[in-house]
Amino acid sequence: MAALPDSKVPAGRLQEKWDSYKNSIKLVNPANKRKHDIIVVGTGLAGGAAAASLAELGYRVKSFCIQDSPRRAHSIAAQGGINAAKNYPNDGDTVWRLFYDTIKGGDYRSREANVHRLAQISNSIIDQCVAQGVPFAREYGGMLDNRSFGGAQVSRTFYARGQTGQQLLLGAYQAMSRQIAAGNIEMFARREMLDLVNIDGRARGIITRNLVTGELERHIADAVLLCTGGYGNVYYLSTNAKNSNVTAAWRCHRRGAHFANPCYTQIHPTCIPVSGEYQSKLTLMSESLRNDGRVWVPKKPGDPRAPETIPEDERDYYLERRYPSFGNLVPRDVASRNAKYVCDEGRGVGETRLAVYLDFTDAIKRLGEQAIRERYGNLFEMYQRITGENPYKVPMRIYPAVHYTMGGLWVDYGLQSSVPGLFVLGEANFSDHGANRLGASALMQGLADGYFVIPYTLGDYIASSRLEAASTKHDAFDEAENAARTRIERLLSIQGGKTVTEFHRELGHIMWDHVGMSRTREGLTTAIGKISTLRDEFWQNVRVPGDNAMHNKNLEFAGRVADFLELGEVMALDALTREESAGGHFREEFQSAEGEAKRNDAEFSHVAAWEYSGDPSKPVLHREELDFENVKLTTRSYK
Amino acid sequence: MLKKLFGSPVGKKLVTGITGLGLVGFVLLHMVGNLALFSGDQAYNEYSEFLTGMGPLFYLVEAGLLAFFVFHIVTGIKIAIGKRRARPVGYDRYQSAGAPSRQTAASRSMIVTGMILLVFTVFHLISFKFGPGGPGNDDVAYLVAYDGGEPIRNMALLVRERFASPLYAFGYTAVMLLLILHLRHGVWSALQSLGAMKPSISGLVYTVGGLLGAGTGIGFLFVPMALYFNLI
Amino acid sequence: MQIKLKVWRQKGPRDTGRFEEYVVPDANPHMSFLELLDVLNEQLIMEGKDPVEFDHDCREGICGSCGVVVDGVAHGPQQRTACCQLHMRHYKDGDSIVVEPWRASAFPIIRDLVVDRSAFDRIIGAGGYVSVSTGAAPDANAIPIPKVVVDEAFDYAACIGCGACVAACPNASASLFTAAKISHLALLPQGQAERAQRVVNMVDQMEAEGFGDCSNHAECEAVCPKGISIKGIATMRREYIKATLSQ
Repeated sequence: MAALPDSKVPAGRLQEKWDSYKNSIKLVNPANKRKHDIIVVGTGLAGGAAAASLAELGYRVKSFCIQDSPRRAHSIAAQGGINAAKNYPNDGDTVWRLFYDTIKGGDYRSREANVHRLAQISNSIIDQCVAQGVPFAREYGGMLDNRSFGGAQVSRTFYARGQTGQQLLLGAYQAMSRQIAAGNIEMFARREMLDLVNIDGRARGIITRNLVTGELERHIADAVLLCTGGYGNVYYLSTNAKNSNVTAAWRCHRRGAHFANPCYTQIHPTCIPVSGEYQSKLTLMSESLRNDGRVWVPKKPGDPRAPETIPEDERDYYLERRYPSFGNLVPRDVASRNAKYVCDEGRGVGETRLAVYLDFTDAIKRLGEQAIRERYGNLFEMYQRITGENPYKVPMRIYPAVHYTMGGLWVDYGLQSSVPGLFVLGEANFSDHGANRLGASALMQGLADGYFVIPYTLGDYIASSRLEAASTKHDAFDEAENAARTRIERLLSIQGGKTVTEFHRELGHIMWDHVGMSRTREGLTTAIGKISTLRDEFWQNVRVPGDNAMHNKNLEFAGRVADFLELGEVMALDALTREESAGGHFREEFQSAEGEAKRNDAEFSHVAAWEYSGDPSKPVLHREELDFENVKLTTRSYK
Repeated sequence: MLKKLFGSPVGKKLVTGITGLGLVGFVLLHMVGNLALFSGDQAYNEYSEFLTGMGPLFYLVEAGLLAFFVFHIVTGIKIAIGKRRARPVGYDRYQSAGAPSRQTAASRSMIVTGMILLVFTVFHLISFKFGPGGPGNDDVAYLVAYDGGEPIRNMALLVRERFASPLYAFGYTAVMLLLILHLRHGVWSALQSLGAMKPSISGLVYTVGGLLGAGTGIGFLFVPMALYFNLI
Repeated sequence: MQIKLKVWRQKGPRDTGRFEEYVVPDANPHMSFLELLDVLNEQLIMEGKDPVEFDHDCREGICGSCGVVVDGVAHGPQQRTACCQLHMRHYKDGDSIVVEPWRASAFPIIRDLVVDRSAFDRIIGAGGYVSVSTGAAPDANAIPIPKVVVDEAFDYAACIGCGACVAACPNASASLFTAAKISHLALLPQGQAERAQRVVNMVDQMEAEGFGDCSNHAECEAVCPKGISIKGIATMRREYIKATLSQ
């Protein structure tokens, strides 16, 4: 068993770590950058930003995405905004506060140095994006506008209507497009990464499947950057796009990259509730809605009355009641868990009774319908389009849904995984959000990693490593390609009695019921058993139509579900092993008398990094202790 | 530079737009001129004589018009061919999504109405401009002298004779209806193509374009109808 | 409710393709149009047939992956809605629906309803960006931009690149897509340096990809999920004329 590599956090004062890191790294001579091929998998904020920035520096970049165009990566769906410590509103924000809020929001389960670097870089991201032509919201005087978001008491969120992710991604995509046209990036769209190829202990290439022809392809490089997003689709229903998956990350895990904190999942409080079994995905509505909407349920369980007929004193504005100082703006995990509690008490609303109201009546009275329309018009439209109800008249019904995964491949300070030469950026890594991510921080992290971290840390790796010449004829490529081919053939040959979607849905139910918002020892143990049984059944009884030599979405999904079936078990195991409640991981056995999460800093102030052992049910646990030299660990309180 | 300006997708529309608007101007004047017949045959014939009497200037205008026609037609055909090339296989079912779409029978049939108008124009020139009493077709029967002056071409007579035939009167009317269709889309589209459209006045321009098209077409119908039904 | 579907099936770019008819016996009014296709596909798989291939990803109308012509209208009957957010409550029991791929020679069919839209990427690559390398940016508030200007720029920047404009255009023109990016960047101070070159290169690329010419039908605006206005096309032309005359 390989020990966990060092986290390589630079010594010195927190505020100076990033600078001293940059001062001490080795640089690659401009003329030499041209000699290095870099593989970037994924074209979301992290991957797009990295590919563009590295190509600008002179590296030869090969970029891969599963969609038909790099512009479609799921970062595009992020609505609310991006944080930065600009302090334009003069309300007391600083780099330190952004750092502190993020560490605290993450329930003290992230690395101080990484988070502080993120806060330091945040301002440059906004500058970069504005220069690219990102149309952030502005005030009448022409200056950038900010709004507040959950978990912070300053307004530090930059936004572009409800489509911030789209605008930031298009900025990165356009920067990439410039480099593609210039020949510095070779773009491979409609490709899925099926394996990582290691040569002499270093990541040197990948195997991809051409999703149009089914051909397996070999790509070689001096380093591999994995920017493939999160694994929320393990729950089947989530706000992730249908193509979001864990396969690339999981294949790297099986090739030696440790998977850190897989149990940390974020369940977003403001999503449109499930309406039936056919449901294929959930739709999130930006939590910025909580700035003006008030969350409530009837006091009486099973109250059948229409919301507008329930008098004020028979409503329970439970977030305002329980958290008077943050009210409706408590962090996501707290808001979600409380929605689950009131629904468990039978006070949920709507047909399924699995929803709470988000009511804008007061805000409309106070500000007028026009002001609300200006702030949230597109979200209201979207809600109406999906539910057929008009939220200006009837309160919205919302329910939590899986949204983001804080866990991911373990990386050191330089974003390098436990496989040398394999770097992991954005949501795919575990690094910056601890046990819970604050709103508007995902976009910040993806772009920070891609624009401003990897150009330095990758350069250091390239300059300080002796990379032997290698070719795609190497045995390691043969072995990886054969393994991928065998797996595809096996999936196609089973021809059983259940579709891929049925298995995925079943896995989703297990995960949601037992590894969801609230977890117990018993539930997690049950989940582990059920997932392993389901996995066995999958490999006996799945039916994948068609063949390999064609565009075959079901075949793609089959491979991804197979990997989710392994990941799910490790998530449950991680959740079972972490005997505390922290952020998005809530264990019912570990809560305060008031029902709040109770951390166990003495025993669990660490990153749990799982190493693949050859048997998906028996990963090996490594711990990276988290040292908090700059912040005092307190119980998160939003009361 | 000019090749770029006129050969590109924007340029092609620019050419059709400019020439189209020029032709609209011509057609509008032509229509108003026709109405001179309502002031009597003499006025009509003198108006016609005034135009041909301008000599070189008249030929210059005619040459310009010819050039406008040619450019308008050539780019129109190019666009129609490009359209076939860009979508060789059509839809099994196709319909407009409705407003704000401005797609109408008129906009879809520009090439068809345009082609019919072209054939009509040739025929129209043969029967009137180059008809009896016209250039290269001297016929004393179609000359008339007023107040002891030089004999001038009796266009009015020719017009009266032609439109006495139902085939001619109604054929002409049908073509004018197609002209209305062509201008319904054409005027608005030309302004949009020239990039002149201010968003705030887009609706207005669309309406005015329609009225202008309809007005011109209808204006042309007065003479043949009045003649056919012996009103003047 | 029962829905009949007549769907275009085509095995690959060289296959001639044909329509096939299917019945989904138990569609739910709350499901989306793509979920209806999901249900159909589950049915087909269990019958041992190949499911209908279609592009889809975010299913919330922003990634631009999905797009089929539903009963002759790109993205279907509900305006300002990508077909992933078209809900079956707009239909009634017994309805039949014709489903076809985007049709344009610049968007070759890959399989069934999946088409290749990489031409759009090449149009953006021809100039749809601001050349600012990472790290070269001034402070974000260094250049004030009036709210009305940035709001208008946003209206164009909202394009999701789905290709409905091309699919619906009687000429299969990509003018709205191209114009949206040109107008977005032409409005902002950041886009000024490359303004002239951008419009010329992007329009040239659009032509090279084999899209048709715009005849101002404005059908594109009517089917655009983001309601992008054809006034952008007027802007593109103005910009193009100015750029060419000043060259």
